[in-house]
Amino acid sequence: MKMARKKSSWGKKQRAVIVTGVRTPFVKAFGKFLELDSIDLADIAVKSLLERTDLPHEEIDSIVWGGVILPALAPNIAREVALDLRLPPTVEGMTCTRACASGLQAVTLAAAAIERGEADVVIAGGSDSTSNAPLNLPQKAVHALAPLAFGKATPADYLGVLSQMMPITEILPKMPKIAERTTGEVMGESAESMARRNEITRQAQDHFAERSHHRAAAAIASGRFDDEVTAVEASGGGVYADNIVRGDTTFEKLSKLRPVFAKDGTVTAGNASPLTDGAAAVLLMSEEKARALGYKPLAAFRSWAYVGVDPADQLLIGPALAMPKALDRAGMELKDMSVVDMHEAFAAQVLSVTKALASKGFAEVRLGKSKPVGEIDEDNFNIYGGSLSIGHPFGATGARMVTTMANELASTGKETALLGICAAGGLGAAAVLEAVD
Amino acid sequence: MTDLLLENQNARKLIKTLGLPIPVPEKLARATGPYEERPLDDKKVLVCGAGGLQTVLAQILTKAGANPWVAGDSDAVLEPFIGPGEAWARTPRWVPSGDAPEGERVDAIVFDGTGLESPDDLRQLYDYMHPWIRRLNRSGRVVVIGRPASDAKKPARAATRAGLEGFTRSLAKEIGANGTIANSVFVEEGAENRLGPVLRFLLSPRSAFISCQPFHVTKLAKGDEAPDTHVLGGKVALVTGAARGIGEATAELLAAEGAHVVCLDRPADDGPCSKVAQRIGGSVLLVDITDEDAPARIANELKERFGGVDVVVHNAGVTRDKTLGRMAPDAWDMAVDINLGAVIRITDRLLEDEVLRPGGRIVCLSSVSGIAGNRGQTNYSASKAGIVGFVEALAVRVAKKGITVNAIAPGFIETRLTSAMPVAIREVARRMSAVGQGGKPEDVGQAITFLATPGAVGVTGATVRVCGGALMGA
Repeated sequence: MKMARKKSSWGKKQRAVIVTGVRTPFVKAFGKFLELDSIDLADIAVKSLLERTDLPHEEIDSIVWGGVILPALAPNIAREVALDLRLPPTVEGMTCTRACASGLQAVTLAAAAIERGEADVVIAGGSDSTSNAPLNLPQKAVHALAPLAFGKATPADYLGVLSQMMPITEILPKMPKIAERTTGEVMGESAESMARRNEITRQAQDHFAERSHHRAAAAIASGRFDDEVTAVEASGGGVYADNIVRGDTTFEKLSKLRPVFAKDGTVTAGNASPLTDGAAAVLLMSEEKARALGYKPLAAFRSWAYVGVDPADQLLIGPALAMPKALDRAGMELKDMSVVDMHEAFAAQVLSVTKALASKGFAEVRLGKSKPVGEIDEDNFNIYGGSLSIGHPFGATGARMVTTMANELASTGKETALLGICAAGGLGAAAVLEAVD
Repeated sequence: MTDLLLENQNARKLIKTLGLPIPVPEKLARATGPYEERPLDDKKVLVCGAGGLQTVLAQILTKAGANPWVAGDSDAVLEPFIGPGEAWARTPRWVPSGDAPEGERVDAIVFDGTGLESPDDLRQLYDYMHPWIRRLNRSGRVVVIGRPASDAKKPARAATRAGLEGFTRSLAKEIGANGTIANSVFVEEGAENRLGPVLRFLLSPRSAFISCQPFHVTKLAKGDEAPDTHVLGGKVALVTGAARGIGEATAELLAAEGAHVVCLDRPADDGPCSKVAQRIGGSVLLVDITDEDAPARIANELKERFGGVDVVVHNAGVTRDKTLGRMAPDAWDMAVDINLGAVIRITDRLLEDEVLRPGGRIVCLSSVSGIAGNRGQTNYSASKAGIVGFVEALAVRVAKKGITVNAIAPGFIETRLTSAMPVAIREVARRMSAVGQGGKPEDVGQAITFLATPGAVGVTGATVRVCGGALMGA
């Protein structure tokens, strides 16, 4: 006979909503945030989030954080933040990494946990400090030094170590670079090859970059980001706004830059996203909890999707597959989207993705659809610029995009937003946000 | 003995500088890893001819990573290539027919001759290929596609179709010095969807030593799954004579595609056979295939230990050369029994006991000398030509179960066997192929591996020569 069991409350369904989001200014690497590592930056973003919302600390269930260059000695940034900010010890934390989609990954993990009933209040976000990327010793040096690190070393051990240290070039620390582990290709080279394959001209890339800068500059000037960017007191003085944006740049100026990754190439420092330091945090709650605590939700996730493509082919084409997948899951089409926001790793990558989305051939062969996903209307696309102009601290970008789009839906009456992010390893990410009444 | 003209850079340079009338063979480009998603990545492939396969070719080539250059009278010929080109970001390019733009070169030419009807139409071969043939890059590829002559209702049409094969064979001999190979493919009406894996193989470095060959792609055998990579994942493969040479190379290649390889050899070869099995994560089966109970033992072992087998490679073989007048009866019996008798007995048993699973692949080793005839090899040639008949007949009988049966006929391959040949004969044998050199065991292994893949379902009952386009044989 079956035992009568009490019904489990585990896995209850509830709606997750975005309550608010805030980020640090995004700052050029090796600049004003030089002395702040990714944990410091995360602390600043989360602290500001707590101050702005007056959130009672005991309400927080957990922190989920995304990062790409994780601090080697304390990789679980989320937990470090909780401890640094003296949040109750019950606020647990986890850190995830999914290359440039890490920030979005953290936010969707939080949303999933709330929807499943694992938590009611979660802070999610991401941060990266390219300025503090560790220099790694080559494996050869690490292995050679092992006898000295463990136990008592004898003089013979020291001699043995020395003998293994030649030639000297093999034991020097290696400069970190953004290269694919499997193919060895630097990401700019991947963008270059995508530009060539998809026939994205230098002109088109520079025009896109120019627009990104102008739109971001206009947004900053109009105060559009004031609610979502917090000032930071760094050792060199206060930082109040993003410092990569060039409102005065022009197509002509951008056209003069030299290609970086290939002699007769098209990718320049002007149409690629720069190395950036920064952090962004998002507060998510169950709708019930948010209303009970007196918050007005900004937006909610209708769907999301993560995909992988062969990194040896078109490394950054992922969003062209992830965005349609997220739309399918949302039961919607591209034309239903009020606004589209795509991470701008490279102008060449964004334009390759939009070209694929507009292609019937791509839809038929890669998506199994008879019609193209559609053309994206320029007026509704990356309306406040993007990573090219605002900057791209890898782990923070997804949380920045969620915050900006959630605010857009809440403040303008727009209904839906589609997000798309490409990431190293041939990954693609996308999400559909919807307004909450 | 290594091939001096191929491996010794100084010798190569010396001959070229002195202008000696010795043709220096081109070192063939070979594949280095398992099957790739895009075996033709960034290769420029000229697509030409007048046939109905443009849509099929567009999909195959762009998905395989090639950049299609399409020859025709106007850029309207690009039409079928645009969609697939966008899907895989391989933008097609139009080139005017009968003209190769100054300074442009291609890596491969694919001629679609499925639309040729009369002998006059053969002129298209000349018109399309004449401007480009000397613009092929090293280790280039030519594939001429047609319909099988046997399916033609009118004799004139059959003649035209057959003509494609002769053209390709001769062309292969002209361009071989560049390391370039040429093969023809005859696709049965309705078997076009089986063309992809064949073209991916023939246009890739995996077919480095296969030239002058006609491939027939038919609907005969059942089956449609055809993965592009990890092509033998989850399959069990039996390789006889796996201890060394071609067997060893084949076992390695099959394992690299995901197959669990059962390495079979004589109990006396326990050592080398075990080493091969260990290296590739396979199993060992020590059996003398001429033993009376060998078929039963092999069938039982495969059934009990692995639940069956998917790929059987009959590689074990011997030579016992003597002219017929001087040959001892033992020499005759041994060669014929190992090379042919045992192959048939084992195959029959595996089929009877249903140890060979549906969708299975049988690959037997024939030999170019078996096809062409060779002094002192009456016994060997009888057995190896016997294999040709065996695969032809068996292929038809097992097609319903999705099983294919094929033979590979190696030409001059650099193995232990050939390195024992007298220097002069060896040197002549090497240079008699269109590519002017001997093959490597891996070249034969690649051909066997291809025939073992699910994607090769269109090819059955065939004997494929891996000979670099040798003068001998048909």
